[in-house]
Amino acid sequence: MSILANKDTRVVIQGGAAGLNAARRMAEFCYMIKRPLNVEAFVYPPDAGKTNEVPYGSGLLTIPVYKSVAEATASHPQINTSLVYIGADRACAAGLEALNDAKIQVASMITEGVPEKDAKILARHAIKLGKTFNGPSSIGVISAGACRLGVIGGAFDNLVACKLYREGSFGVITKSGGLSNEIIWICSQFADGITTAIGIGGDAYPGTDYVSYLEMFEKDPQTKAVVIVGEMGGDLEERAAEWYGAKKRRIKLLAVVSGFCQESLPKGMKFGHAGAKEGMKGEGSARAKSDAFKKAGAIVPDTFGALGPAIKSVYEEWVKSGQVRPIPELSQADLPRLPKTVEESMKAGEVMVAPLIKTTISDDRGDEPCYDGYPASELINKGYEIPHVIGLLWDKRLISKQEAEIIKRIMMLSADHGPCVSGALGTIIAACAGIGMSQSVAAGLIMIGPRFGGAVTDAGRYFKHAVDNKMTVDDFLAYMKKNVGPVPGIGHRVKSVRNPDKRVKELVGYVKSLSIKTPHLDFALGVEKVTSAKKDNLILNVDGTMAAVLVDIGFPVDSLNGFFILSRTIGLIGHWVDQKRQESRLIRLFDYLVNYAAPKRREVPPLK
Amino acid sequence: MAKVLEGPGMGLMKKWGIATPNYVVVTSVEQFDQLAKANDWTQKGKLVAKAHEAMGSRFKLGLVKVGLDLAGAKVAVKEMLGRQVGSITVTQVIVSEMVPHKDEYYAAVKSTREGIDVLVANCGGIEVESNWDRVKRLAVDVGETPSVEALEKLAKEAGFTGPLAKKVADFTGKLFACFDNEDAQYLEVNPVVAREGDGELVALDAVTLLDADAKFRHPDWNFQFAAEFGRAYTKHETEVMAVDSKIKGSVKFIEIPGGDTAMLPAGGGASVYYSDAVVARGGKLANYAEYSGDPPDWAVEVLTDKVCSLPGIRNIIVGGAIANFTDVKKTFGGIIAGFRKAKSEGKLKGVKIWVRRGGPREKEGLDAMRALRDEGFDIHVFDRHTPLTDIVDKALQQK
Repeated sequence: MSILANKDTRVVIQGGAAGLNAARRMAEFCYMIKRPLNVEAFVYPPDAGKTNEVPYGSGLLTIPVYKSVAEATASHPQINTSLVYIGADRACAAGLEALNDAKIQVASMITEGVPEKDAKILARHAIKLGKTFNGPSSIGVISAGACRLGVIGGAFDNLVACKLYREGSFGVITKSGGLSNEIIWICSQFADGITTAIGIGGDAYPGTDYVSYLEMFEKDPQTKAVVIVGEMGGDLEERAAEWYGAKKRRIKLLAVVSGFCQESLPKGMKFGHAGAKEGMKGEGSARAKSDAFKKAGAIVPDTFGALGPAIKSVYEEWVKSGQVRPIPELSQADLPRLPKTVEESMKAGEVMVAPLIKTTISDDRGDEPCYDGYPASELINKGYEIPHVIGLLWDKRLISKQEAEIIKRIMMLSADHGPCVSGALGTIIAACAGIGMSQSVAAGLIMIGPRFGGAVTDAGRYFKHAVDNKMTVDDFLAYMKKNVGPVPGIGHRVKSVRNPDKRVKELVGYVKSLSIKTPHLDFALGVEKVTSAKKDNLILNVDGTMAAVLVDIGFPVDSLNGFFILSRTIGLIGHWVDQKRQESRLIRLFDYLVNYAAPKRREVPPLK
Repeated sequence: MAKVLEGPGMGLMKKWGIATPNYVVVTSVEQFDQLAKANDWTQKGKLVAKAHEAMGSRFKLGLVKVGLDLAGAKVAVKEMLGRQVGSITVTQVIVSEMVPHKDEYYAAVKSTREGIDVLVANCGGIEVESNWDRVKRLAVDVGETPSVEALEKLAKEAGFTGPLAKKVADFTGKLFACFDNEDAQYLEVNPVVAREGDGELVALDAVTLLDADAKFRHPDWNFQFAAEFGRAYTKHETEVMAVDSKIKGSVKFIEIPGGDTAMLPAGGGASVYYSDAVVARGGKLANYAEYSGDPPDWAVEVLTDKVCSLPGIRNIIVGGAIANFTDVKKTFGGIIAGFRKAKSEGKLKGVKIWVRRGGPREKEGLDAMRALRDEGFDIHVFDRHTPLTDIVDKALQQK
């Protein structure tokens, strides 16, 4: 048997992310004891109508979130308990809401830092309604083999180590959350474990005191002894001692109290929980409490460390007298275990997973990204620049200083080309329509293709084909005419021999001034000589020049359009920001810019 | 519980209609000059000057001066400001008017488990402390407000008669309102005096303890809380409090001069058992510290830094129970970073470190601590199988 939280406990959790985390802990416990999840619903107004996902075993359970406790209990009539884990400023209202619901019999509050006034109101309200309010600042309630309410008991491994999958003989009541876990562990190691452990919280005015729970334990035949971990301050320990000493009790009581250090501390200095404050005339001191327990006949070990052996001797006496029969231990193989995550299984070498994707360029699993194996910060510190990062990520090699300079110049030359070209216009129209940056820039980038900026790759491909196959310019032009059509990289809408593209001149001039071999650029210039003689505007355009130069310095053909896309993105972002800054309004074409060649207005024939 | 200094404490009482002496809190002589000009009461009656700091024995230290005229008050302000007492510098002086009176009374309101107690005595000052049986009590249930009749009955029980009983009832009613509305935990006015002339009851001196947890609903609490142990908070304590107020979970730190055993345990409950163990084994605590509620690692690192900076320490107790949800690996990561920093600054020479802990990711955390041995730390690491406070026994046996 157990008290307060048992196999019939059905819980609504009032809280957001913290509440969900508590639900996950509770699901681990339910899974361990092979029972369905005891959390039926959440109440968290900001998320009302949504659902929370709670891992259970190897699956995920979907638990609804409601706006109010009333809605939750109406939809889930089995709910009888609330777990409150919401901000301290909303805790009082949440607690009252739970207590006021006819279905809720027990409310336990994990929230810390609840004002004392609120805690007292909650405690009083619960008493008035004949219900149990546990907390605030309570880590929760755990009944071995039956129920976990809150985050008490820690991680799954600890639940198993403390044998919480089956009942023992000891009840536990503590103010401290961390120590509740410690005592559960001690009971499992020095004796047969616990029935129910309750954290009442370390605040000055916990909703329920030791005595109420001692009375419940006294009526629970499975619980044969109760361990109290007390603290100085208040009079709850004294009341517990008084209860124990008042008449012959069925349960044995073991108790320790902390705060003896207070005797040798500067006056007024107080440690620990909010409730750990001594009265003005020494009432509530650790010594007074300890003495009260001793006087009442409880077992009071001298130190916390002596608690384990004391529990052990109590337990061994029962075993000797036949009052308790030792529980056979589960073998290692039979111990409950959580399903492993894929990561854990892989780490243990138990599974092999076929990767979904493969990357050969970068890795940011460490403390910083590595580009082709080189840490970004080291590249920065050793003087490398953006073009080198492009080299690493696009072609997996560290390019030379000279090559980096060429790339830098290519990018500077093609970063923007005014607002009229397809890309910029696309971005500007989108910006004026109030579209965000990434979508507007994408609208401009979409324009990049065979007619606008997107000829770099094709130009590179055919120039490379020609050079690789040692074609003459005439052979090449014949080949292109037969198989492809117009030569990509040749020809310009407005520029011509008499009106040359300065960007091309600049780039060609620079590359030619270097002592590098430029077979593709040379070939492209040879092509231009022939084509421009035929027609004035069939000059080598900026796409074609970039393509030839980039192939010359070894970039793969498939990466070439990237240089234009990347550098033009700089301009497109600029256009978007520019329109935004001007707070530009929605634009549309003027009718006079449209040639309306559609049929004249006419009558719609009857539908057949 | 949070103590409030006299100035803001009186401000709260005034807000609820309780008469207090006029007062000014000043941080410089110039400010006092200006305020004296603006407040004509400073030129009329006698004045009291007190160091406005959380320190005990102000009378003995000469930090309370009574019966002053304006010139005398100015001299007192000048003398007190900047005075160094131990680790505290006096930065504020409160100057208030002396209220001429004959009789002194006592009134207090305090929180109890059942509700709120209103306490009244028809003697005050030191007299009430030796006549505690003359203090009469009215217990008010949670959520209730005492009626005027009940308060008047209480005043009469305490020996007040006639119109004075009515005045006392009115005074305690206001004190109760102040207590209830300001989330106080303890309000004590001693003495309450009947002002000569109009006979109005004035709160001459008060102790104000507020519930710091209720700060969220009191945007007008624009004052700092003061330490409750007769000294101001130290720089390191204030720094840890600043971190504590920012994070999920908590970190706490109080210095105890002259100790040799430094504490760096986890948990509000376990930390006190560790402190008890140190005292029980004859050790001297150098501090109290505690971290809990899964605080971020950087907060634990700050706390570790302060602990390592304590002078004259020989052992550091990194204790803790089996955590429910505090991530041992993460919080230990903060402690390890703090230890490394301290060592690089030349601290921790000859200091032994004792670790005991359990909880989520305990193995990884404890392994990381153990690995500090290779870096030259004198560190001893134990897991959940070693009882909670045994590391204190081991540490202190080493002497």
